[in-house]
Amino acid sequence: MVINKEVENGRAVIAPEGRLDTVTAPELERVVKDCLPGLTSLVFDFAKLEYISSAGLRVLLSAQKAMNAQGTMKLLNVNETIMEIFEVTGFSDILTIG
Amino acid sequence: MAEKNTVTVRLRGRIDSANASATEAEIFARLAGVGECAVILDAAELQYISSAGLRVILRVKKAYRDLRITNVSPEVYEIFEMTGFTEMMTVEKAYRVVSVEGCEVIGEGFNGKVYRIDRDNVVKTYKNADALAEIQHEREVARLALILGVPTAISYDVVRVGESYGSVFELLNARSFSKILAKEPERFDWCVSEYVKMLKKIHSIAVPAGKLPPIKNKVVASVKRMKDLLPGPLGEKLLKLTEAIPESDRMIHGDFHTKNIVLAGDEVLVIDMDTLSVGRPVFDFMNMYSAYVGYYEYDPDGVIGFQGYDIGVSKRFWHGVLARYLNTKDEDKITGVENKIRVLSYAKMIDWSVRHFGGDEKRAAERAIWLENLIRLTDKVDSLDFEVSECGEAPDELEIEAATENLDKVLGYVGAHLEEAGCPMKTRMQFDLAVEEIFVNIASYAYAPNTGKATVKVDVSDDPKTVRVTFTDRGVPYDPLKRDDPDVTLPASERKIGGLGIYLTKKVMDEVRYEYKNGQNVLVIGKRIERSRE
Repeated sequence: MVINKEVENGRAVIAPEGRLDTVTAPELERVVKDCLPGLTSLVFDFAKLEYISSAGLRVLLSAQKAMNAQGTMKLLNVNETIMEIFEVTGFSDILTIG
Repeated sequence: MAEKNTVTVRLRGRIDSANASATEAEIFARLAGVGECAVILDAAELQYISSAGLRVILRVKKAYRDLRITNVSPEVYEIFEMTGFTEMMTVEKAYRVVSVEGCEVIGEGFNGKVYRIDRDNVVKTYKNADALAEIQHEREVARLALILGVPTAISYDVVRVGESYGSVFELLNARSFSKILAKEPERFDWCVSEYVKMLKKIHSIAVPAGKLPPIKNKVVASVKRMKDLLPGPLGEKLLKLTEAIPESDRMIHGDFHTKNIVLAGDEVLVIDMDTLSVGRPVFDFMNMYSAYVGYYEYDPDGVIGFQGYDIGVSKRFWHGVLARYLNTKDEDKITGVENKIRVLSYAKMIDWSVRHFGGDEKRAAERAIWLENLIRLTDKVDSLDFEVSECGEAPDELEIEAATENLDKVLGYVGAHLEEAGCPMKTRMQFDLAVEEIFVNIASYAYAPNTGKATVKVDVSDDPKTVRVTFTDRGVPYDPLKRDDPDVTLPASERKIGGLGIYLTKKVMDEVRYEYKNGQNVLVIGKRIERSRE
């Protein structure tokens, strides 16, 4: 999958495109892990994300756990279908979605 | 085949001291001048033999070492056994005699009929003179088919039926598909589905080289004999197209019509194996078209006598089978393939009819219809072979290695069915989610640390329109639904990673069922489909 990433001064914006599923989630996990050290703000831009499965949710959950200890994490441009999945799984209460 | 001659001498009535020397003279007169040969004494009509008669046989045996006594009745066999003759020479008992009078015909091939002789046994009879060789051939072919994975019955006994022979099979409570179609019209769709499943199974089997003859050779020979009946270049075109059909090592049944497919107990079996060969699927369809439509184009009522159902059912079944085999509802595509099939079918029927009924007027009228169609269609087609994938929409079932890298294939397969069912985008995504969770679960745990196969099948039912996806694997028994749902109200720090997938599946589907059956994990997910508003 295509994952766009911008990191500057402890702030990162990660924008995955397409489907975040069992096959592609490990790629996102690696990207997140690489930029975690020293990060104070993590933003996921989901404008071009179409689909997320539990494998993707797991990546978001571990990113959220890590960022809880070192800064803030926020999700932007979440589409309706993905939002529903967040709601069903209670992720809408854990994540900051704006 | 024996290289020397075989002479058969029939022994009749009683052979005792009164006629022993006359009989001896008769036998040697019969053998005189033949030279070295194998002798068969056919005892079918021998009622009694005394010691004087036995001495005659000893003298024949002395002169002709290669001697067999066949068709010996139980009473006469006792004499041969008591006197030690059965140890000195080959003495074969008469075949058990079976009468098929009044027995139900459950199968029929070109070379004979299959009768049910009692609840659990059937006998297949042979018309031709060389029945024993035929039986032997079919036994070998059936054994090969069974080893290669075709569910079939193998005969356990050879019996005498009237003037010919038959082989006996055990077929528990067998009913042919012809009978089911005629008596239980509500099972029409089931018949189509099981029939095509069996046909595809046969067509998927690679046959080791040299084990079965290529059917193409026979068809090319037919076309060569009859092609001059077509005007000008069309005859040559027909031959060229037939010759251009690719060779194949895949199994062809050769006579795959509903009398030869039987339901025995709850198992579907193919019972007529003598036409087994290798070749492209079009050759099986060629004979199927003849059996369901072609032979009845002149006399539509003829099918009732042969199959038990009428021409409407026959045509509908043919069309249903072809559409299902090709996985398409696109009538243009079906007709395109059917035209190719019909070309071969007409060519073969015309050749067969000319050779067997050259002078018969009614047959000539029938051939005229076939020839007219053949000319029209030969002009139209540009090849006689077809690929299922040319037309294929979603296949009925996907059998695949349970590995996460195959997830896209599984999603693609299910997605194609959802699209066909007119499923809205949102529901498709929900199916994607559930399918991913279930398939990845199987890929990760069912066979760990080894790998294995999973089967994915999509069923669509109406009222209300519902899609069900069934996952089957032969891995360790595991019910994922038993797992406790995660507490979705916990804060991130207390949330566990995992358990979400099944929870999501339950949430987005209307129905999630698990069962361990016949050594398999069977998991079904289902959801009602609202009509797409797009």
